Amino acid sequence: MIDTFLTHYNYYAVVALLGIGVYMLVESSNLVKKVIGMNVFQTGIFLFFVTAAYRSGAGPAVVHEGGGPYVSPLPHVLILTAIVVGVSLTAVALALIVRIYAEYGTLDEEVLRELDHD
Amino acid sequence: MIEHAPVLVIALPIVGGALPLLFGLFADRLGWPIAAVTLLGQTVLAVALATTVVDGGAVSYVPGGFVAPYGIELVVDGLSAVVLVLIAAVSLGVLAYARRAGPHADSFYAQYLLLVAGLSGMTATGDVFNLYVFLEITGLAAYGLVASGRSASAAVAALKYLIVGTIGASLYLLGAGYLLAATGTLNMADLAGTLAEAGYDSTLVLTAFGLMIGGLAVKVALYPLHTWQPDAYADAHDTVSTLVAALVSTVAAYALARLLFSVFTVGFFDAVPIAQTALLTVAAVSIVAGSLLAVAQSDVQRMLAYSSVSQFGLVIAGFAVGTQAAIVGALVHLVGHAVMKGGLFAATGIVERRTGARRLAEYAGLGERAPVTAAGIAVLLFAMVGVPPAVGFVGKWYIVVGAVEAGTWSLVVVLLASTLLTLAYFARLFERMYFTAPPSASTTDATPVPDGGNGREAVSTGMVAVVVAAALLAVVLGGTAPLVEQIVEQTVSTFPHP
Amino acid sequence: MIDPSLRPVLAILASLLAIPLIFATSSRRTLRESVTIAAALTKFGLIASLVPSVVWGGETYEYALFTLASGIELALEVDALGLLFGLLASLLWIVTSFYSIGYMRGLDEHAQTRYFASFAASLAAAVGVAFAANLLTLFVFYELLTVATYPLVTHDETDEARAAGRKYLTYTFGGGIAVLAGTVLLFWATGTTAFTPGGIAELATTDPAIARAIFALLVTGFGVKAALMPMHSWLPDAMVAPTPVSGLLHAVAVVKSGVFGLARVILDVFGPETVESLGVGLSLAVVATATLLIASIIALGRDNLKRRLAYSTISQLSYIVLGLALLKESALIGGLLHIPAHAFMKLTLFFCAGAIHVETHTDDISDMAGIGRRMPLTMAAFAVASAGMAGIPLLAGFVSKWYIVIGAIEGGGWFFAGALLLSGVLNIGYFWPVVYQAYFESPDDHDEKPLVRGIFGGRTAVETDGGEPVGAADGAETGDHDHTDDEPEPYETDHLGKYNEDHDHHGGPPEGGWTAAGWRGGESTWFMLGPILAAATGAVVLGIVPNTAVFLEIVTTVVDNLGVMV
Repeated sequence: MIDTFLTHYNYYAVVALLGIGVYMLVESSNLVKKVIGMNVFQTGIFLFFVTAAYRSGAGPAVVHEGGGPYVSPLPHVLILTAIVVGVSLTAVALALIVRIYAEYGTLDEEVLRELDHD
Repeated sequence: MIEHAPVLVIALPIVGGALPLLFGLFADRLGWPIAAVTLLGQTVLAVALATTVVDGGAVSYVPGGFVAPYGIELVVDGLSAVVLVLIAAVSLGVLAYARRAGPHADSFYAQYLLLVAGLSGMTATGDVFNLYVFLEITGLAAYGLVASGRSASAAVAALKYLIVGTIGASLYLLGAGYLLAATGTLNMADLAGTLAEAGYDSTLVLTAFGLMIGGLAVKVALYPLHTWQPDAYADAHDTVSTLVAALVSTVAAYALARLLFSVFTVGFFDAVPIAQTALLTVAAVSIVAGSLLAVAQSDVQRMLAYSSVSQFGLVIAGFAVGTQAAIVGALVHLVGHAVMKGGLFAATGIVERRTGARRLAEYAGLGERAPVTAAGIAVLLFAMVGVPPAVGFVGKWYIVVGAVEAGTWSLVVVLLASTLLTLAYFARLFERMYFTAPPSASTTDATPVPDGGNGREAVSTGMVAVVVAAALLAVVLGGTAPLVEQIVEQTVSTFPHP
Repeated sequence: MIDPSLRPVLAILASLLAIPLIFATSSRRTLRESVTIAAALTKFGLIASLVPSVVWGGETYEYALFTLASGIELALEVDALGLLFGLLASLLWIVTSFYSIGYMRGLDEHAQTRYFASFAASLAAAVGVAFAANLLTLFVFYELLTVATYPLVTHDETDEARAAGRKYLTYTFGGGIAVLAGTVLLFWATGTTAFTPGGIAELATTDPAIARAIFALLVTGFGVKAALMPMHSWLPDAMVAPTPVSGLLHAVAVVKSGVFGLARVILDVFGPETVESLGVGLSLAVVATATLLIASIIALGRDNLKRRLAYSTISQLSYIVLGLALLKESALIGGLLHIPAHAFMKLTLFFCAGAIHVETHTDDISDMAGIGRRMPLTMAAFAVASAGMAGIPLLAGFVSKWYIVIGAIEGGGWFFAGALLLSGVLNIGYFWPVVYQAYFESPDDHDEKPLVRGIFGGRTAVETDGGEPVGAADGAETGDHDHTDDEPEPYETDHLGKYNEDHDHHGGPPEGGWTAAGWRGGESTWFMLGPILAAATGAVVLGIVPNTAVFLEIVTTVVDNLGVMV
């Protein structure tokens, strides 16, 4: 049990990133910070994938002399895709924020909610 | 040609979606015709594909020659064929509505087609990671579409939708990571076998189930993960509400079913009954809570949005019960709800354009002011309540029969009560439309103002025709139940049974 | 010659296709009314043409429309029982159509197009109920009937009408849910929902607990429309509808569809033997007996004529249910025969109430003293029909009640027989004063009505609601003026009630008493008098020569078809 905790220290980072991300999403009323929180959350997931594929002593998945254990390339490829998706999402989110700011002159969620109800 | 259909249903709208942007450089207003041609092609493809599947069984396609499980596989079986046809047909219908209702920007049609591509991709894919990618493509297009509403609040709603939707998709991705860790594969067919070896009750698999289903439940907008949905539906442009309300949650619900039956399989529920109970509970709570929230609304579109929360509870309950009859019911209700809810949103758009009414109280006397639209709404409402022989009833009948077969009695009670719950919020609307005198002020300016004063815009016959078509379909589709049943019977036999 | 098996479909279509025509001719009143009459005649003709072969030839005709769900078709079948209900509803629709015309013209009502269209839709659904070949098809039409009649209940578009409409929808859809649940269970337990004379065989071998649950659900569901207590309270409220609606739908088509559903459940789903062996017939009989007694007593205390008639309907419907639940041959014949008998009599009574409303705007019995002078023919018909209700010989009610009482005694059920006789006395108790004061009293000099106050929520509070206290000492009233302008309790008002009239005109006799009208129809239009007399004649014919009126024959055919009786 303790062993697991000691060897899987990468997961602490994952959990910390997910936690920070969710905290920012929930707590911050600033829309930009929310988007940053969303990014941090996603980064936590990316880290999880990438480090989960790590095998100590394994080489990159390029066939070379002597063979030997390779790191599974699949998660890396997947995360490459996911990062692209994440970037597009951030772009759309920021575009929306620009428009919201242009319309309302504020990025505070609470203020927006009040404006919306009037 | 037909053997390439599974990839073409995805590629065609993507390519079609790029064209309006390209031609937009040279000419205005080419978006609609391009979208129309593309979606006509899409419909033909989808129908052809469905016929092939019904006649000859599931079709699988490996793009680029990378053989599954290493490459990405597209699989179209009976279940997905039905949904593909639904996507193509509904998006074509909504496009007819959009011709007059707008928005007319070329970028709108690009996003529109991108959404269709994403939805078709979600439906056709046989790979859980690929599903994530299409989920996000769908999401991106949907966020953009919701924001294309004229009102500034649409942007706020879209951002809220984006943040919640992304969290949902991220949870799904995390779950897919757990599956990969547990089995080393992401191919659905492959997973079905390897998951059983990994042990259904292992922590990895259970966590994966929770995260993936939870993530999709956000997209389906089950209670209490629905918070993005009412704003997005109510603040978006009418065309967008119609399309999004009809299709996005629908395909997410399909994806959830796909995971249940093709990845986790019924064996998972047998091994971990608590998972089934949990899903059924969420669905049942969604039915009740969605209805109660709908009753509390005074804005018609928000009421319809909460109604979706409740109706998707029914669909997910059907899938979670998992007997053949229940799956038939869920699929019929999935299709039926798409038509009915799409028709209702289209109708509310017409009503707003014609009379400026958005709130329940403003719908008073609509039966005289806009008789055809009001009649369409009335038929759709009663179809949704589940008055036989409309499609809303047929779906419910099968789900209830399935639940009785499975012996889930408390669910049966909730399912039956859902009729009265639905009635509780829809009867109010019906009563307003027909048995309440219209506000005296509006009788004088009921005629449309030519210059669009008072926010009123022209309504084309085509838009009304879309509502009427939806109402007719809602009644007639009930008769297709035997066909759906045949398709499901065929498909269920191909589901993996480890 | 049209293929007989197609005729039930055409009979439904006859009124269904009339709907678009009614809308199309909405601007031309006479044409629109002709469409209704033509549809009614066509419908009746089609159904009547089936009588010879079905009743005397012993044939049944089936027609499957399409498959509704796995193994269940939306199918129509004409058998004797269905014919009984279909024939009755379509025959009385003709009568009611004429009456509706007179009534709607007389009051110059709004939304007449919607009214006639909904009426046609209701009849299409009612005939669908009659000719449904299986429980699911019956359910389909049963729900459609609810939807079609809802606009008629809310026709007035007042708050009370909307409240009544909401209540109506809630109750009937609630009942629909119970029927649906029962149908699903039945399908699950036996794999079929088809009506089989004598009962579905598999039910006899089903786990008795499940079979009882199915029976309870179905009876509860159909019991809502049959106004079995305690599920009856939508019916008095629905009296806010125009009187032809109350007459045809809430005395014939809608409530009888509930009773008819019960008949199907008892005779063709379970079969008398299975009902007997499950022991559920007795409990239903007790519920019916309680309903018929309690409703009669409540009727005694109702001053609004239509409400009194509504409680009378609740009571009379339970006669039918009791006849079915007793499971004896005579009782079955009596119960089924009471379906047409009650229909003719109650239709007459409602028509009379409507005629009085149209002509004099009087709705409360306490205002009707001496009205026989003003409306002699109407009140004569009223007298005949109420005598029939009470079971006086030579009238329709007597024959059916006779059979039910015989059945009750056969089964050793002295308790039930006694209850029936007691109820007959109560019937006289609540109808006789109406007739008596109409002819033998005058507005200035009459007894206090209603005779009984305050039983089971009767109108004890009438004075505080602004009503003219009849014969009450004025001492208590003077200090009470704060309340006189209060909104009346909803259950005491409907669009026909005195509280809703213009304040200058409360109904009741004009200054100087009722003007006399002759016996030759000066009291109203023949559009209204004709239907009243036709319905009253029907009630008399059924009573004097039941064997020549086709209904008794149909009923005996139904009971014979059941085969072995318990």
